[in-house]
Amino acid sequence: MDARWIRLGADSAAHSPLPAAGSAVYTRSIETRPRFAVSVPSPSRATERPLNAEAPLNAEVPLNAEVPLDAEVPLDAPRLRAGLVRVRRAVDRHAAYLTRLDAVLGDGDHGDNLSTGFRAVEELLAELPDDTPPGELLRAVGHRLVATVGGASGPLYGTAFIEAGFRAGETAELGPELIGEMLMAAAEGLARRGRCTLGDKTILDTLRPAAEAYRDAVAGGGSGSTAAAAAIAAARAGVRATRPLVAKRGLALRLGERSAGHLDPGAVSCLVILVALAGDD
Amino acid sequence: MTEGDGESDRPGVDPELDQLRTRLAALEREYRSAFDQAQREADALFAQYQLSQLVASGGSPAELGRAVIVELVRLAGADGGAIWLGETGRPGLGLIARTGEFADQLPADLADVAAARELAADRQDLRLAVLGEDVPASVVALAVPTDRPLDDDGLRVAQLARHELASAFGGARLREALERERHELGEVVDGATDVIVQVDEARRVVRLNPAGERILGIEAAAAIGRSCGDVLGCAVAGGHGEDHCPLAEVIASGGAIGYRETAVRGAQGTPIRIAGGYSRAPSHPGGQIRATAILRDISAVRALEQLREGFVATVSHELRTPLALVRGYAETILHFELPAEEQREYVERIHGVTSRLGSLVDQILDITHLDADPLILERAPVAFAALVARLRGDLEISGDDARLIVDLAPDLPPIDVDIVRIGRVLENLVGNALKYAPAPTPIVVGASVDGDWLLATIDDEGVGVPEAERSLVLEPFHRAWNVRESRIPGTGLGLYICRRLVEAHSGRLSIGDRPDGRPGTRVSFSLPLVADRRRAIGGRPRRTQAASHGAVRG
Repeated sequence: MDARWIRLGADSAAHSPLPAAGSAVYTRSIETRPRFAVSVPSPSRATERPLNAEAPLNAEVPLNAEVPLDAEVPLDAPRLRAGLVRVRRAVDRHAAYLTRLDAVLGDGDHGDNLSTGFRAVEELLAELPDDTPPGELLRAVGHRLVATVGGASGPLYGTAFIEAGFRAGETAELGPELIGEMLMAAAEGLARRGRCTLGDKTILDTLRPAAEAYRDAVAGGGSGSTAAAAAIAAARAGVRATRPLVAKRGLALRLGERSAGHLDPGAVSCLVILVALAGDD
Repeated sequence: MTEGDGESDRPGVDPELDQLRTRLAALEREYRSAFDQAQREADALFAQYQLSQLVASGGSPAELGRAVIVELVRLAGADGGAIWLGETGRPGLGLIARTGEFADQLPADLADVAAARELAADRQDLRLAVLGEDVPASVVALAVPTDRPLDDDGLRVAQLARHELASAFGGARLREALERERHELGEVVDGATDVIVQVDEARRVVRLNPAGERILGIEAAAAIGRSCGDVLGCAVAGGHGEDHCPLAEVIASGGAIGYRETAVRGAQGTPIRIAGGYSRAPSHPGGQIRATAILRDISAVRALEQLREGFVATVSHELRTPLALVRGYAETILHFELPAEEQREYVERIHGVTSRLGSLVDQILDITHLDADPLILERAPVAFAALVARLRGDLEISGDDARLIVDLAPDLPPIDVDIVRIGRVLENLVGNALKYAPAPTPIVVGASVDGDWLLATIDDEGVGVPEAERSLVLEPFHRAWNVRESRIPGTGLGLYICRRLVEAHSGRLSIGDRPDGRPGTRVSFSLPLVADRRRAIGGRPRRTQAASHGAVRG
């Protein structure tokens, strides 16, 4: 066991999007039709701890945790809405930790900004008609994020959601191939807007590997859930890889070489969002 | 598109439907281009936002420069970039940040903006932008890639941010200068040997320098926030009451007090006389009022002044009294027809008084030498016995040598002293003993070894020195009351001179009772033995500076 990890009580663990390995794999339905969950194998670390407000800043992001995925396809509007609500909860839960990470490299408001943004998203969901197709839903969410999230992350996440929404078009039920393309479009859009590439120590370091892993898994004949599991695994690896990097974009530029050694808060928040979208809470 | 085109292109198809299709395609193109345009505008807006965020984030010129140049290179799609920034009050611009690849070496310094323009004049691989011409000027160079053009959208964003960037760099320079100035001022305050204490409008301490911590015996952290009267202890030290606080005065008046003497409580709780300068920081609208006191410990100066004043008064008194006598005797001889024997008597009195005057003047000269800074000693190894033998020779003239008993320990090692001056000490002390002890009582000179020191003693059977006055008689012009009453003439300088000369050799001189309990006085003093205890006597004298010297002790 790594001493740096802070053990959480059962209560906190229950609220985590990333339950400890070995915990019961369960299914949960917000619809009437049957669902199933996917268990991601957790080989190396026996007990990984979820991100939380008290976690030391240098803590490794939880890797290889068993994630029950709600990534069944096709993805329709109600399931997408449910996913977005999970994102709101996950972001709230991790807001303090994200803000503390951001205090090291940026201006220390990332968690609070995202929290504000996704609360606004939840309000937006209530306003939108029930028959709003997923694509339009995503675009509206993107615009709401641009308008409500302070700092650079608002326009960046907003762009990602809007681009994914564009790619979805008017399709009512999103299949795995389309989801893969949407994720890629989100990554491309974010890279263009942020003028960033892989390794710049940004959100993209999580998003692009996740998108590529999802796309490749689907191309290799994998189901939506397998692809999602692969995407989350790639996202985690991406987050972990940002630690030694010297920041090339954003406020962390000021720190120069000193930005190395810290996780990028954007990369971590992207993981939180992806896990919440794909998983269950 | 015309109907004719449609008809000629696709004969047989409904021309209206065709027209609609064409319109739809045109609308789609229009939509696409509007969308692309909107995207580019959003990109530019975001780029501008990111640049502003960096610019607003502050930091040193180098930090800001490094962040901004990376951003500009990314914006413009350049291969590399560099920023030069001028400095207020100094000509030229210095390279503060660079990144990426350049075809050749960039100059570390540019003479001026014109030189910067010249640098890029004939080069296709370098794009130069002057951000600001005003002091401090700032110039950006971008390395143009060989395989592609620079990004026009990005360049436009950079161009728009030109003034913002220039003022940000100017601000960074200013912050840097202010920080340096603040640091230097802080060094001055911390390095000062005077107490510097700063208070706010309510006279609560906001700053206390290290000298203040030392002299007042309180740590700055403990002093801050407390009232100035509490920290300085002006009232308990007898300086001034709360109603007469000079800091309150300058806070109220806005003026300054150039010099005011008062007292504060020192580290040991004892009062320290201080001279203070008080001023109030120039109050600017909305600014906080700060009053500063610079306090100098003048207790030593005061004591010295008192001593000098006393010295002058006593010396002039001591000189005037015998002078008046001389004048009186001389006038008597001049104005009265006196018989020869009487005249002779007066002349003898004049002779006696003038010899006393002479020795007084000698002693005053001795003291001025003692106060020379530093006192130079001509040290040489000598046997204490030799000094005593020389003294005995001098006493033979008056016949007092009969009273001198020498009782030295055998095999005394040589001492390392200024022979003339220690000879004077011995002469003075033995002379005192002879003077104050009635004849024919013996004067015993003894000596023994105590560690690295020779301990000499002179015992007499005289009137003795009252215990309360023993340390006082070692000060200038002080004579014990019983000696004053005895009407034996003296200047009150002899013991003082002896003490100073012994102390100049790092030794100690004290006055005490005789060890055998009989009435009389024992004067003891210590002198340094030759360091390596060589018995060899002689050798060349060395000039050394006395260990204790300087002003008259307070």
